[in-house]
Amino acid sequence: MAEMTNDNSHQSAGIDLSQFYQVFFEEAGENLETMEQKLLGLDIVNADDEELNAIFRCAHSVKGGAATFGFTDVAELTHQMETLLDKLRRREIAPNASMVDVLLASGDALKAQLGRHQGNGGAAVDTAELLNSIRALVDGRGPNTANTANTGLAVAAGVQAPAPAPVFRAPDKPAARALELTVGPLENIGDADNLVDLFKEITDLGTIEPLDAGKGADGMRRFKIVTASSDDDLLDLFTFHVAREQVRLAPLNSGYGFHEGAPGAPVDAGEAEDPGYGFFENAPGAPGGDAETEAAAPTAEASPATIAAPVKAAAAKVDKAASAPESSTLRVSVEKVDQLINLVGELVITQAMLAQNGKGIDAGLYQQLASGMADLERNTRDLQEAVMSIRMIPMSLVFNRFPRMLRDLAGKLGKKVDLVQVGEATELDKGLVEKITDPLTHLVRNSCDHGIEMPAERLAKGKTENGSITLIATHQGGSIVIEVRDDGRGLNRAKLLKKARERGIEAPDTMTDQEVYGLIFAPGFSTADVVTDVSGRGVGMDVVKKNITALGGTVEIDSAEGYGMTVRVRLPLTLAIMDGMSVGVGDECYILPLSSVVESFQVQPGMVKTIGGSGRVVEVRDEYMPVLDLEKVFEVPRFDFEHVSNIMVVVESEGGRVALLVDELLGQQQVVVKNLESNYRKVDDVSGATIMGDGRVALILDVTSLIRRSRH
Amino acid sequence: MHSILAVDDSASMRQMVTFTLKNAGFNVVEAVDGQDAFEKANSRDFNLVLTDQNMPRMDGISLTKKLRENPKFKSTPILILTTESSDQMKQAGRAAGATGWLVKPFDPAKLVEVIGKVIR
Repeated sequence: MAEMTNDNSHQSAGIDLSQFYQVFFEEAGENLETMEQKLLGLDIVNADDEELNAIFRCAHSVKGGAATFGFTDVAELTHQMETLLDKLRRREIAPNASMVDVLLASGDALKAQLGRHQGNGGAAVDTAELLNSIRALVDGRGPNTANTANTGLAVAAGVQAPAPAPVFRAPDKPAARALELTVGPLENIGDADNLVDLFKEITDLGTIEPLDAGKGADGMRRFKIVTASSDDDLLDLFTFHVAREQVRLAPLNSGYGFHEGAPGAPVDAGEAEDPGYGFFENAPGAPGGDAETEAAAPTAEASPATIAAPVKAAAAKVDKAASAPESSTLRVSVEKVDQLINLVGELVITQAMLAQNGKGIDAGLYQQLASGMADLERNTRDLQEAVMSIRMIPMSLVFNRFPRMLRDLAGKLGKKVDLVQVGEATELDKGLVEKITDPLTHLVRNSCDHGIEMPAERLAKGKTENGSITLIATHQGGSIVIEVRDDGRGLNRAKLLKKARERGIEAPDTMTDQEVYGLIFAPGFSTADVVTDVSGRGVGMDVVKKNITALGGTVEIDSAEGYGMTVRVRLPLTLAIMDGMSVGVGDECYILPLSSVVESFQVQPGMVKTIGGSGRVVEVRDEYMPVLDLEKVFEVPRFDFEHVSNIMVVVESEGGRVALLVDELLGQQQVVVKNLESNYRKVDDVSGATIMGDGRVALILDVTSLIRRSRH
Repeated sequence: MHSILAVDDSASMRQMVTFTLKNAGFNVVEAVDGQDAFEKANSRDFNLVLTDQNMPRMDGISLTKKLRENPKFKSTPILILTTESSDQMKQAGRAAGATGWLVKPFDPAKLVEVIGKVIR
């Protein structure tokens, strides 16, 4: 196929094919995801033609690219899948659950193979079982389902963490060749099937397909073989079944042909030898056919019609039946988007400074300047919103993994669970998506594992046999709210209280239901009698809460015993902007995340007490809370010695509270969060910085860290 | 300069074909499926159409038939990319009016060789 040079590059006609690998990998990844989703959504009883065709095309597309770019392991597996899918789409065989299982497992194997080629490491993928199962299904036999499931899981278990610097693994060598095999004349045409069986029995031998539609003529059969084995090796195998003189192998390396007489077909085109391409004789446009082979000479294009870079053209009209999503989106690197957001952030800060400085301007005298400033403010705000929305992607990208995960999990547990998605088009920041996926996964697993009852138990309770888990995503104010709702057994208040007390956690009977449910988030808490390997290992609800809080979000639980449970996660729409409360200490300004501020009040004499010589506490409504004097924490220089800080701001994080002593409350505003660590270094008790309207730098305080400090 | 319409629903294939043909001195316009190709063909002229067979919305054979109905493309060389060179596929192509076929997988050298036979 392609010539391989010594230095591992994949060259042909002076063109290095490896420059196209990245696009192929991305495209193959998308095709595999689409295929998985469609397989999961396939109605086995009333399979839709278009769906079957679409699934076929996914496998076909991956095969085409894999074969072209030399990834023969991927090509071999997709080729087999394609054979099965082709029969399905032609309705030659009917779909069943084992086929879906085998195809899903094959999809997993392909992901692993592609991962290895991209340099992600991982164990070599053994596809022998899968290939056998697929062939069995194609032939109308049942697959060995137990082995198939194991292969799928074994493959998943074998994949390890990605290597630090991805290096393309060179496509398998030596490169596969296409050959034409002619067999005969045979007394019994069926003898040729023995040769076909060889390819079924021996993995990595390659692929074989009939060129004569399975029917021979005059005892002759023709096949196309794609293989990395040598001619001699093949002939050695073939001669077990047929005589040496009855087998002929010829290179199919030309791979094209012209129909004689077809328009535009070349004059000397004959079909005597199949060079792998062909021109139909007298077909329009065939070489040497018509005298007017050339259509009207096209005018030279003024501008290049296409660019080799992966930029798709502007939105094309999209048909209802099938969409062409590629033509209405643009692929842009994340670094470019982040840089754009950063620059806009700087613009916002500069505009705020101008606005601040321009406050004193006489609007009457400098009317145009004043109105210009107003326009600038509006434009900047619009620009910021628009740019932020670039990083917004729909929740469906997070939700997409759950149908498959739930199917596998429910199957393993013997439960029946339907998954419903609401609001999957709701968008949130890409950075958040990556961080919310693990916590959400744990919540869904938890619902399935501990919440939803076994089918028999549900029926006995008068519920539907199938439990349901609903994922809901909505925008509320400046936040996104994600709910995981199940109709399982719900939470048992008494059980929770008992468990908490057993663990030494204070749980008075006066706790509200909400507070009792919140006990689930306490570290080490687990109400399951047996920690299953499904959702118990390593991750707990406490980690879920910690992750969500770290994103500036909150999580709460609602439950009705016997009916179900809802976990509600609230997240800010983006990490780059924050609602803050600014406080003053001396000449310094500090920002507190508004979501963590509980209350503020003026200190009265006698409210603050000293304990143990060093710690100070303040009494608030019969409760004592530690006090942190920010002036001392940050060693703020004090020039006016008569001044005493007398304002307390109570902040809260992860169940803990602390009262911060400050001079004054300056206000509330949205601040653009700048990362301190990447520009300077990590500073204790500080989570970031921002530039205020007057140009001063204000440090954004890390509430969790301050609370920890107050406890020491 | 000759213009080629390259039709394939796979972005990596389109890229490879475009790069190869541009390198060989041709102007290339890409289309993502038969429908897209048909629309582009109606508004421009091409010296050659190179199309994949299996695509959503309109496949290669159907595209070929529709193009031949347009007098502008009566004699334009149309090559169908196929992953098999079975007789059945060849017949379908011929019946649709295609000029010839090119079997996938092919490498850039092969592509240039075939094109060279139909475009001088």
